[in-house]
Amino acid sequence: MIRNLHPPKIWRIPVIIVLGIFAGLFALSIYLSKAHSYLSDDPKTCVNCHIMAPQYATWNHSSHREVTNCNSCHVPHDSFFNTYYFKAKDGLRHATVFTLRNEPQVIFIKEEGAGVVHQNCVRCHENQLMDAQHSSYVANYEAHRTDRKCWECHREVPHGRVNSLSSTPYARVPLPESPVPDWIKELNNND
Amino acid sequence: MKPLKTTIEKKPILGWLLFFATLLVVFVLGLLASSIMERRAEASFVNVPKVKLSEFEPRNEVWGENFPREFQSYYQTADTSFQSKYNGNAMIDMLEVDPELVVLWAGYGFSKDYNQGRGHYYAVEDVRKTLRTGAPANENEGPMPSTCWTCKSPDVPRVMQEEGVAEFYKGKWARLGSEIVNPIGCADCHDPKTMNLRVTRPALVEAFENMGKDVSKASHQEMRSLVCAQCHVEYYFDKTKVEGAQYLTFPWHNGMTVEGAEEYYDAINFSDWTHALSKAPMLKAQHPGYEIYMQGIHAERGVSCADCHMPYKSEGGQKFTDHHIQSPLNNVANSCQVCHREETATLLKNVFDRQDKVIENRDKLEELLVRTHLEAQKAWELGASEEEMKDVLMGIRHAQWRWDYAAASHGGSFHAPLETSRIISTGITIAQETRIHLSRILASKGFNEELPYPDISTKAKAQEFIGLDMATLNEEKEEFLETVVPEWLKKAQEREDSWDVVRN
Repeated sequence: MIRNLHPPKIWRIPVIIVLGIFAGLFALSIYLSKAHSYLSDDPKTCVNCHIMAPQYATWNHSSHREVTNCNSCHVPHDSFFNTYYFKAKDGLRHATVFTLRNEPQVIFIKEEGAGVVHQNCVRCHENQLMDAQHSSYVANYEAHRTDRKCWECHREVPHGRVNSLSSTPYARVPLPESPVPDWIKELNNND
Repeated sequence: MKPLKTTIEKKPILGWLLFFATLLVVFVLGLLASSIMERRAEASFVNVPKVKLSEFEPRNEVWGENFPREFQSYYQTADTSFQSKYNGNAMIDMLEVDPELVVLWAGYGFSKDYNQGRGHYYAVEDVRKTLRTGAPANENEGPMPSTCWTCKSPDVPRVMQEEGVAEFYKGKWARLGSEIVNPIGCADCHDPKTMNLRVTRPALVEAFENMGKDVSKASHQEMRSLVCAQCHVEYYFDKTKVEGAQYLTFPWHNGMTVEGAEEYYDAINFSDWTHALSKAPMLKAQHPGYEIYMQGIHAERGVSCADCHMPYKSEGGQKFTDHHIQSPLNNVANSCQVCHREETATLLKNVFDRQDKVIENRDKLEELLVRTHLEAQKAWELGASEEEMKDVLMGIRHAQWRWDYAAASHGGSFHAPLETSRIISTGITIAQETRIHLSRILASKGFNEELPYPDISTKAKAQEFIGLDMATLNEEKEEFLETVVPEWLKKAQEREDSWDVVRN
């Protein structure tokens, strides 16, 4: 089967070279975009795109930084499959928007993402929300306790109110540094 | 399926198609790679400061290029239009407001000139202008030591770095006239690399060591007060620590209280000056703002100086610390009302009530002290002996120390009303005890009547009463400001022009 795809003998060398370039560029794209980091839960990954700096900075100044990372709230945790499906879907959308320079100046969460975040609020804070005693005699208790988004009231949790791309100009955020290794920089350093 | 090579051999066009398709994929992949590279490169330019600040950059304008919001709000300390009931940012001639002060400080520089300070922006200008620094014609003249510059400028850490701390404290005030030119600003409180708060004045570090503490262990919230405590504290110049230096020292060895400092000064037999009328060995309290504040309810609840005097503000959707350091009474909404839900008028009334009540007793103590000084003077005139007067002089020293500690701790009547009232009331007790003692001495010399209170209703009358030649002092100062200061400024300009500003 694979043998069938082999090019004519005379073409072998050019094809090897082209495939090499192809693979090299692919590897470069992986390296530059830090694609491997997207498998982790580290919030630093989310500031691979510098436009997320205000979100990172505000989270990093909130009490939630002690117990959550970005994925704790922004990715569903109802099933293993759903977690990675949503993460891949949302991540690819973000990557596309960023690559195409389509990002808005003020980033708002989408309907689907908001639902996920709300579910995650409830997931951790269930004990503060629900009371077994009440639920046994108050009609529609659970619905009434959870059908509004938490941030209709808790408006500043945890990112604050204003989050334009330029709202945290001096925040110290672990943005990716230059991908060029130091030894190359030193080669360029003529003085 | 036939092998690819036979297919292509039959239809060479397929080979070309495959070639161009691969070419297209590699081309697009290259575009993607370069786009990622570009966007990643952007990250290294996000919010890059315009200027690379050197470790001891004293020029606030240079810092301001990197931090325009903070700098522009800092610059508003140049405003002098706000006056609250007792203080504010306008210059107030306190000797005019309260001519008793002239008598209390007879024989000391403060009787010549004492103003309610203006904003940080004027720190250097106003210390040049005050009559207390005199009119030195050259660097070896004048009444004040170089130590007097310590709190005035971010040039101080720079010069301390160049000369050494003890060297900085040596010589006359005029010696550093051309070195200290930038008013209190960025480098006094901030680390130029990280913008973290930092302590730049050795006196605070040493004071903590003397109390067995380590100031470098302070939390961020504590630092938001401690950077202020580098200057807004009681201090004195230790002439014994290093030969030839007037070493800036905080008297916190026995704790940060009025009694702790008094005990310390008594033990080392220190006095700032000998009173011209009563001959008492006096102490001058210098703005123990931080110490008094630490005794108050706001400090106890963990509120820092910056929380009220530099509250957060929002401009164009960006939240930052308002560097217009000022009275919170001029900005109740951002300071008090962040925690207290009362109306502005109510909050202001709460402040004024405390100030009014504390000042009522402070004024009483002031009058008692004037009387005590004059009665002591009378006792000397009637031939009282050193031995007879010993306790009286200590009484005057302690009573006026307490009055001054309360009066000079600007804002103390609000920062810690209870502690301030307590200090004043112990002062009143000591002053009255001393007067009882004095009246016995006077009676034993055959003088048994009330000494008339002098006419010190204005600053001029009071200064004439203690025998100050104000006309000469003012004339000399004028001359100094016109001839010496421009020379200083010229030299400073030359120095600063020779510094390169490294831009990114």
